[in-house]
Amino acid sequence: MRKIKLATIFTLTVLMFGGITVAQTDPGVQSASRGTGATIINPSNDPNGFTAFFTNGLARFQEVESVSNSPQGNNGLGPRFNMNQCSACHAQPAVGGSGAATNPEAEVIANGIVSGSTNSIPSFITQTGPTLEVRFPFFFNSNGSANTSNPNGGVEDLYTVSGRSDAGSCSLPQPSFAAAQEANNIIFRIPTPTFGAGLIENLDDSALLTNQVTNLNNDLGISGTFNHSGNDGTITRFGWKAQNKSLQIFAGEAYNVEMGITNELFPNERPLPGEDGNGGSGDTGLVASCLNLSGTGYPEDTSNPTLTPNSAVLDDVSAFANFMRFLAPPPTGGVVLNGQSVSASAISTGSSLFSSIGCATCHNPSPGKTQVSNFVPALSGVSVPAFSDIEIHNMGSGLADNVSQGSAGGGQFRTAPLWGLGQRIFLLHDGRTTNLITAIEDHASHGSEASTVIGNYNNLSSSQQQDLLDFLRSL
Amino acid sequence: MRFPYPCFVLVLVLLASPSVWGQNASAPNSLHNGGDFSSNSRSVEKVPTGVILVKGASSSASDAMTPVPEDGNVANNLFSDPYFGLSYPVPAEWMEKYKGPPPSDRGRYVLAQLTPSDTFKGPARGSILITAEDLFFTPLPASNALELVNYSKNNLQADYKVEIPPTPAKVGGHPFTFFAYWSPVAQLHWYVLATDIRCHAVQIVLTSRDTKLLENLVSDLNKMKISDDVSVPVCLKDYASDATVLARVNPVLTERHFNPIPVRIIIDKEGKVKHIHFLSAFPDQAKVISDALWQWRFKPYRTNGQPVEAETGIVFGRSVQAVQRAADAPVE
Repeated sequence: MRKIKLATIFTLTVLMFGGITVAQTDPGVQSASRGTGATIINPSNDPNGFTAFFTNGLARFQEVESVSNSPQGNNGLGPRFNMNQCSACHAQPAVGGSGAATNPEAEVIANGIVSGSTNSIPSFITQTGPTLEVRFPFFFNSNGSANTSNPNGGVEDLYTVSGRSDAGSCSLPQPSFAAAQEANNIIFRIPTPTFGAGLIENLDDSALLTNQVTNLNNDLGISGTFNHSGNDGTITRFGWKAQNKSLQIFAGEAYNVEMGITNELFPNERPLPGEDGNGGSGDTGLVASCLNLSGTGYPEDTSNPTLTPNSAVLDDVSAFANFMRFLAPPPTGGVVLNGQSVSASAISTGSSLFSSIGCATCHNPSPGKTQVSNFVPALSGVSVPAFSDIEIHNMGSGLADNVSQGSAGGGQFRTAPLWGLGQRIFLLHDGRTTNLITAIEDHASHGSEASTVIGNYNNLSSSQQQDLLDFLRSL
Repeated sequence: MRFPYPCFVLVLVLLASPSVWGQNASAPNSLHNGGDFSSNSRSVEKVPTGVILVKGASSSASDAMTPVPEDGNVANNLFSDPYFGLSYPVPAEWMEKYKGPPPSDRGRYVLAQLTPSDTFKGPARGSILITAEDLFFTPLPASNALELVNYSKNNLQADYKVEIPPTPAKVGGHPFTFFAYWSPVAQLHWYVLATDIRCHAVQIVLTSRDTKLLENLVSDLNKMKISDDVSVPVCLKDYASDATVLARVNPVLTERHFNPIPVRIIIDKEGKVKHIHFLSAFPDQAKVISDALWQWRFKPYRTNGQPVEAETGIVFGRSVQAVQRAADAPVE
């Protein structure tokens, strides 16, 4: 009898520990340096000398902007903005990436970037939370309630220059973040990493369209579409909803929207969406006391014909675009799980599982080869290991944000490129989780094209799921 | 003793001077309602969670009475789709956890996706996916379910192995094509059953690691009923041709969305458009195209000399890139 009891206890113990060892775990952010943030340009095969433009763009990407009176001439910040430096938000794991572990938006008062007398840190901006961009899906009514018949969707900048010593008498209130939260009329976006972006930019539409038809051969119910430029009708590809055509547009819009700096692409100061008279606000644009705060006139960022060397002649937006364009794709790397290195065979198995259960239908390991580049040979005729089809897909009610951008509706998102995932901290478009398993499971919801694939993931054994997670963190 | 008065004046000046008062003097404008602002910090009217209110291109129809493919629904443990005349009792311990995505602009529908419920006791879980491929609009080189399955089999990714090549089968007395493949690494098996209904390839895709479960599910499919209703319109690909369209008003799309707009129409016995179904269109596109289509007149389609209702498809907007059929494809 005693023997049986002991044997039973032993068996139970083995089962319990066995259960622990086979339960899948997100290996988490891989800390070992993989060399992310280097340029794709081979200096010995750079006939036009674009390496200097990459270096110059990298430097400008890290410059701190002021409203006026900057000794370095970096003026034009605001009157509304989210941050004063590109690299503050595009930081992880290297300059050009996504949000870092410590959110700089939570420290703007402490760091003297905004006045604590005229601005407050919104409750959703926390030191250890994701770096966020905020949008209100709908305008407010004249009675203060959200008007679901009147879509907004524009960026609501977190802070104003009001109260800064270099901002004159400009006085602007922050948008009504607390009321928006109370009305459930607020959504978030985190910074998209820009590594390898030059390769995505250099994919011809024909490659993407061919890949789309190839991907249609699936038994998963998946069928995506593309977002298009309203100007020339070609496929757009940058941003969470693939709403931006090129890196130049991406940089120009961000400079204007995130930092409030007018430029050659977006030459006018940007009010909040409702400050331009939308949504029944009665406003007629920014008040005069908040215009031309830099004192330089518009646009605040221009080309600099008198400067040398050649790279200095470019405007900031072009320099930013060059920096992102020439960033190499994030290198893959080894994975450490619970202090142990994961075997290469497990990662290889995970790669096969990723494809077998249908993840690769949208997160396509390579949607095609690039066209011939007039910039550098390194961008010509190469595969783009982005793990994205660049299509927009219906992602269901669980991820929907009720923001329309271009042709993308409130429930559609671009397939997020997964390259660099191993060193990403915050996941999904709104940074709602740091856990890869949660991010995977959140792909399934009513109306999502991914629900069947997530069902396949759930049909795998725990060890298979672990291999898949390990593979993803190797990217 | 001579200083108190000037000090008092200085204090007053400091209080009154905006420039010296600094930040408080430049305090933001008072809040007002509308646009990006609301003083209603205790609003009880909340934007509903989990509801997609802002849609992109989506499906719509000219009336709510005429069935459309996306009407597929699970209720009282029965999947039914009146457009396809399909009904199928959901197996015990299975459920529809999530509704499928809306119809795609390439003509793909997810009619239902079923998963085991929490009480399911099998050794491995699985999924049942019921889809339809509109053969008027699919870019895949298939004009019927068999061709679609054959294309799928001939273009399987390297991760999969064929278990059973496309084979004729009967489900509920209805002709189907059965095809099975599996992933050795994932140990997952896919059983695909496809049939033709109203110029759609309707597919039932069963997936699991447990082949016994799959066999039981296949057997269970014999409970599926497919209507033999002969009153549904005859489906005709590309019926809207110069030879059959007697009067045409071209819609003028004013907003440029650059999307394909697949439309199914039902033409009555007199050649008038009776019903319009947009698989995917922005509201402004649907309005303009509908206004035009109501004015179209067709040569009535006849069967055995008698005019009958006909159903066909038209793509407005951007064309859909099609895969070349094998016979047309260039030799590598």
